Formats: sequence, C-alpha cells, structure tokens
Amino acid sequence: MRRAHLQRMGLPRRVLLPALFAPTIARAQRNTWLLNQDNAEIAFSARHLGLFTSQGRFTRFEARLELDATRTTDALVEGRIETTAVAIPFPGAEDTLRSEAYFHTARFPEARFSGRAAGITDAGGFTITGRMRIRDIEQPFTMAARLAERRPDPRGDVARFTATGRVQRSAFGMVADRNFTADAITITVGVNLLV
Amino acid sequence: MSDAWSLAQRRLHWWSAALVVLTGALAVLMVWLPFSQMLAKFLAYQLHKTFGLLVFSVVLVRLVLRARHPAPALTGLSPGVRRLAGIGQAGMYALLLAVPILGWLTGQAAAGPVPTTIFLVIPVPHVLDPNPALYAWLRPVHQVAAYTLLALAAVHAALAVKHHREGVPVFRRMRW
Ligand code: HEM
Repeated sequence: MRRAHLQRMGLPRRVLLPALFAPTIARAQRNTWLLNQDNAEIAFSARHLGLFTSQGRFTRFEARLELDATRTTDALVEGRIETTAVAIPFPGAEDTLRSEAYFHTARFPEARFSGRAAGITDAGGFTITGRMRIRDIEQPFTMAARLAERRPDPRGDVARFTATGRVQRSAFGMVADRNFTADAITITVGVNLLV
Repeated sequence: MSDAWSLAQRRLHWWSAALVVLTGALAVLMVWLPFSQMLAKFLAYQLHKTFGLLVFSVVLVRLVLRARHPAPALTGLSPGVRRLAGIGQAGMYALLLAVPILGWLTGQAAAGPVPTTIFLVIPVPHVLDPNPALYAWLRPVHQVAAYTLLALAAVHAALAVKHHREGVPVFRRMRW
C-alpha cells in the first residue's frame, strides 16, 4: 500500500470518517481531497477462459473527492484517467489495450467518471453510484465502498477506503477477444486519505 | 545380449525426440505471435508447457529403464567415439531434465502470472511468486539451455546418420 504523498485539502482530520459513517456529526463545511496515483490506486481485472485472472492498473489519473460533513450521503467524486497510462504485466498487452479494439487511446486519451455516495449499507460500507465515460460512451456505474483500515501516520491518521465495481466492457464498445477474455471487468479503487 | 534397445526404450526415444522438436517450435511460435492474437498465443504457451513437461516425464521413465536394462551390444565404433557419444548422451539427459524445470520456474517468475496446465485440464502447481528479477535471469538460462539441447540433439542425429552410412547399425538398434 502506498503511504507517501498523502494529500489533504480542507478541514481537520477528525471530520472525514465520522462524516462518512455518523451522519449525526454536524459541520456545515465541505472537505475536498485531491486524489491521484500517489495516494490512490485504480486497478482492473478480467477472467480468461475461466482459468485465470489478469490484473492491470492505471498509473496516471486525478480525482476530486468532496464531502459535506453535514450531509454524509452527499459525498461526491469525479475524475479522469489517462488511458495511455494503462499498465499490465504481460509483454505486449499494454499496446493491445491502447489499440483501437480497446481504449483507442489515440482517439480517446481520457476516461472520466463521476459519482455520489448513495447511502450507508448495513455492513458499514456505502454505495457509490455514478457515470463512467470510456471511448466517449457513458454508462451508469455502481461501486461498493468501505473503510478498509485506519492507521496512524506521522502526519495524522490515514483512512484507507476501497471500492469495487463491475462493468461490461462490451457496453463501452470493447468487444475484441471474447473467446479469451470475459466481458465483465472488475474495477477496484483504493484511496488513502489523511484525516 | 540383444542387439536392439527394448521396445519401450525405442518408442520413448522417438517420442522424446518428437516432443523436444515440437516444444522448441512452439516456443518460437508463442513468442512470435502478437499479443493481439491472445487466444492463439495463450494456447501456444500452454502447449509448449504441456509438451515440455511431457518431455520431463518421458525422460524420467527412460532413465529408469536405462538403469534397469543394459545398453545393447554395439560393434563398429572405436572406444574413443563411444566415450564421446556417452558424454553427449549424458549431457542430453541432463538438459532434457533441466530445461523443463527451468521452463516451469520461468513461467512462474514472470511478472504476469499465468497458470501452468497440462492440456488446459490438469493444473501444475507453482512454487514461486512472480519475481521479475529472477525471471530476467531464468528466461535466458532456460532459452540457452533449450537451444543447447536442440543443438546437441541435432549433432547426435547427424552423427547417427554418419555412423549408419558407415555401416554401424545404430538405426536398427533404435528402430521404431
Ligand atoms: C524440452 C523442453 C523445452 C524446450 C526445448 C523449451 C524451449 C524453449 C525456448 C527455445 C524458449 C525461448 C523461445 C524464444 O524466446 O524464442 C522457451 C521459452 C519459454 N519456455 Fe520453454 N522449453 C521447454 C520446456 C518448457 C516447460 C516445461 C515450460 C513450463 C512449464 C516452459 C516455459 C517456457 C516459458 C515461460 C518461456 C518464456 C517465454 C516468454 O518469456 O515469453 N518451457 N522455451
């Protein structure tokens, strides 16, 4: 897990976690965190022939996370991913993922997403619903998020959130290699916030 | 003493020869295939691994048989040539065992983990985690050992043809 370069903009550290999990704490201010590859990860995985799973990630992206302490279900996130910055540890695979059949990075150098927290679940997690735009095709998108850990750091506590969701790649026009790669792609996001 | 190897030894000799050639050809094919031809590339890798592991198993059986049955009598070759042939054969046996083991380890150490299977059906366990530094070492060692094996096998075959032409019945001893 990345520990370095944790960024925080906004209010005191004790605000964020209670804000997400205890709506009773009232602070009418909004916190904004800037996220990127230094304090967050965006990874994806796919099954192949039902035999094994491959995993990749994006090495350049930026996102903004906004939280209003008084209205916890109003957390907002939006961001962009540089599609050329796709990394996957199989020789030749990155070029294939950048090619027309996949992200077509020459034409669509960016993917975008935006979402909003949609309530806290019984298990203590929360759902993020939003939109994802890849290859200029926008689709609805849902992720199950949760606080994975909270640990002390010299600069304050670090809260690590993880979120997982699934997309059908064909919904974004990525239909190549269906005989080898499943349509369902799992997306996993990890975020480390200095709180 | 018989003038030919046992039927099992002869069959397994030719099987291992065919499997080594096939495995080598698949190695070139799997590396050459572009990643965009994912399924074909994956299948070529799996067949390379399958046939390579079969080579290992066949050679183990051959070594057991060799230990149990004495080599058939052979006349017509000088002691020096026989000694050299013996050294060459020992080298081939060593490489026939080492190359598949190195290949098995190479695949596991690669940064992108892909399972090793026999014909996509029988999973072969892995003992290493992905380790790019180890892979950078194992990959060329496996490759050089494999090409050395293929070169030795080619010399072995060429010398067998030469002896055969000189009237030494080497092919009769190793007939299918
Ligand atoms: C007699 C048996 C074998 C022979 C002759 C052989 C031959 C070769 C050769 C010549 C290469 C290099 C290809 C190139 O770069 O052009 C290679 C690569 C490789 N072999 Fe084998 N091999 C054998 C057995 C195995 C086995 C049993 C496995 C795995 C279970 C294996 C896995 C690999 C892997 C993973 C590579 C590297 C490919 C890459 O880096 O993309 N090999 N083999």
